Amino acid sequence: MGAGLILFFFGAITTVLALQLPIGTLRAAGSGFFPLCLGLLLAVLAFFHLMSLRFQATDAARRPQADHDTPRSQTQMLLSLGTMALATLLLDPLGYPLVSFLLMVALLRVLGTQQWPFNLLVSLITATASYFFFVQWLKIPLPKGWIGL
Amino acid sequence: MVEAVHHLLSGFAIATTLDNLLYCLVGAIIGTLVGILPGLGPIAGIALLIPATFGLNATSAIIMLAGIYYGAMYGGSTTSILINVPGETASVITCIDGYQMAQKGRAGQALAICAIGSFIAGSLGILGMVFLAPPLAEAALAFGPPEFFSLMVFGFIVLSNVTGTSLLKSLMMAVLGLIIGTIGLDPVTGLARFTFGSTYLLGGIEFVAVAIGLFGIGEVLINVEQPSEALEQKVLVPRLRELYPTLEDLKQSIGAILRGTGIGFGVGLVPGPAPVIATYASYKVEKSIARHPEEFGQGAIQGVAGPESANNSACQSAFIPLFVLGIPFAPPTAILLGAFLIHGVTPGPMLIGQHPELFWGVVASMYIGNFILLLLNLPFVPLFANILRTPKKVLLPLVILFCITGMYTVNNSVFDIWTMLAFGALGYLMRQWAYEGAPLLLALVLGPKLEVAFRQSLMISHGDFGIFVTRPVSLVFLLATFVFLILPLLRRLLLAARRKITSPA
Repeated sequence: MGAGLILFFFGAITTVLALQLPIGTLRAAGSGFFPLCLGLLLAVLAFFHLMSLRFQATDAARRPQADHDTPRSQTQMLLSLGTMALATLLLDPLGYPLVSFLLMVALLRVLGTQQWPFNLLVSLITATASYFFFVQWLKIPLPKGWIGL
Repeated sequence: MVEAVHHLLSGFAIATTLDNLLYCLVGAIIGTLVGILPGLGPIAGIALLIPATFGLNATSAIIMLAGIYYGAMYGGSTTSILINVPGETASVITCIDGYQMAQKGRAGQALAICAIGSFIAGSLGILGMVFLAPPLAEAALAFGPPEFFSLMVFGFIVLSNVTGTSLLKSLMMAVLGLIIGTIGLDPVTGLARFTFGSTYLLGGIEFVAVAIGLFGIGEVLINVEQPSEALEQKVLVPRLRELYPTLEDLKQSIGAILRGTGIGFGVGLVPGPAPVIATYASYKVEKSIARHPEEFGQGAIQGVAGPESANNSACQSAFIPLFVLGIPFAPPTAILLGAFLIHGVTPGPMLIGQHPELFWGVVASMYIGNFILLLLNLPFVPLFANILRTPKKVLLPLVILFCITGMYTVNNSVFDIWTMLAFGALGYLMRQWAYEGAPLLLALVLGPKLEVAFRQSLMISHGDFGIFVTRPVSLVFLLATFVFLILPLLRRLLLAARRKITSPA
C-alpha cells in the first residue's frame, strides 16, 4: 500500500511540475508535454494498483492469516548504508586512500568481522591494492584529500 | 550468404588482434567472477567496468563488455551446481538437476556439460546472428519514428508482462523510469526540466549510477540482511579428472543442447529477460519429451544441458535487436547501449553499414569468447569453487568499495555516488515490496529515444495520433502490445470463473 501511495504522489507531483513547463500543441509538443502524459499515467496506474490492493485486502481478510516471515535484522543493512553515505561525505576532504581504508574497516566490523588484526590487515591490503590499481595504474584522478596521495 | 561469411572472416581478423584477444579474455574472466560472486550481476558488472573502457576504441570496449555479459552467464551456473545458489536468475533452473548431480558425486560432469552445451549454443547462436542481423537491419531501415515508438512501447509492455509478479507494478516501474529519464535537458528544445537549478542534473540522471544502485548496492543490501550461513555452506569442489563427461552423458545431452539452442535463440529475439524465460521453456520441453520424466529433479543431465544451452543462445540472440534496431530488449543490453553511446557509436539499422569493423569484430569475438570460456571453465572450476569459500562478511565490503570507486570514475563526480546510493536504497525497497528494477532501467535508457520518436511522429502527422495505427508496421506492434496487455487480464478472469465453478455455492 505504501509503495502505491508514494508512486501516486510521485505521479501527481510530476504532473504539477510538468504543467509549469511549456506544453505546446499536439503538432509541436513542448518540453512539458511528455512528462505531463507520464505523470498522469503513473498516477492513474498507481490509483488502479491501490484499488486492486483494497479488493485483495478484503479478500485476504476473509481468508485465514498466513504465517509471517522470520523477522530479519535491518540494523546491519542500515549501518552499511550509513557507512557508505559517510564515506561519500568524507571522500573529498579525506581523500580516496584513507576513505577506502576506513570504509573497509567499518564495513568489515558492521558485517561481523570481530578480530581487529584481521580486520585492519584486510582493509590495509584492499585499500593499498585499489589505490595502486585505480590511481597508479589506471591513472584515475580520485580525490587526494589532505593526505595528498 | 557468401558476403556474410566474408564479413565474418574480416571480423575474425579484427577479433584476433593481440589487444582484442586480451580484452575478450579479461571480459570473460571478469564475467565469470561476476557470475560466481554474490552481490554482483551482469548488469552491475558491465556498468562498473564501463569506465575502464574509456581509453579503448569502441570495438575493443564492446568486445570486453560483451565478454562480461556472456561470461557471467557461464559463471552463474557454477554456483547453481556447487552450492545450490544461482549466481544469476537465469541459472535458477540449473539448481534443480545440477545440484542433485553434484550431490551424487557428478558435479564435474554437470559443470562440463554446462560448458560444452553453452559453447555449442553460443557458437550456433552466433551463426544465427551472422545470417539474421544483416537482412533485419535492412528491413529496419524502413522504420520511421512511429514504428520505433510502437516497437519501444511493445518492448516495455512485454518486458513488464514477463518480469515480476504483477503487470501493473512492472508498468509503474517502466513509467517511473521514463519520468526519471526526462530529468535534464529536453532532447528536442534544449530546455532544462526538473533540474531545480542544479547543474549536476542538467545532463540527466547517470544511468550507470541507476544500474549499479539498483542491481549492485540494492543486491548487496539484501545480502547483508540475510543470515551469513546461507552463503557459507559447504562447497563441493570437483577434482580435475572428474571434469570430463562420459560418452553416454554426451549422447544423452546432445538433443537437449540442440533443442535448448533453438528455444534460446527464438526467445532472445523478443523483449524480456530472455535467458530466464529460455531456461524455463527448455526445462519444460525436456521434461515433457523425456522417456523418464521422473528422473528430472533427481539429477537428469538433460535438465542441465538444455537450460544452460538455452541460456547462452538467448544471450547471443539478444544482441540482434540492440545491433540492428538500436533498441535493447533487456537490462544487460540496455547497459551495453549506454556503453555504445559513451563511445560515440549509435546502434541501429545503420550500424552494420557505418561501423562494419565494430559489428563483425564483436560477433567474431563472441565466438572466440565462447571458446575461451570453454577452456577457462573446465580446468579452473576448482579455483572458482574455492573463491566461493570467501566469507560473505569479507566479500560484500569489497563489492561495496568497488561500486563506490567504479561509480566515481565514470564522471569523477561525488554526486554520482550519492545518486547510486539513493538508487541502491530504492532497489532495496523495491525488492522488499516486490517491484522489478528491469523495466525501470530499460525505460530510463530508452526514455529519451521514446520521447523523440513520439514528438517527431506527432510533428509528421500534424498532431494526429492516427499515425501510429495507419502505418502497418506500427499497427502490428501496437496490436501485439494490446494482446500482451489483455492476456493477464483474461487469465485472471478465467481463473476467477474457474474458482467460481469449483467453489461450493
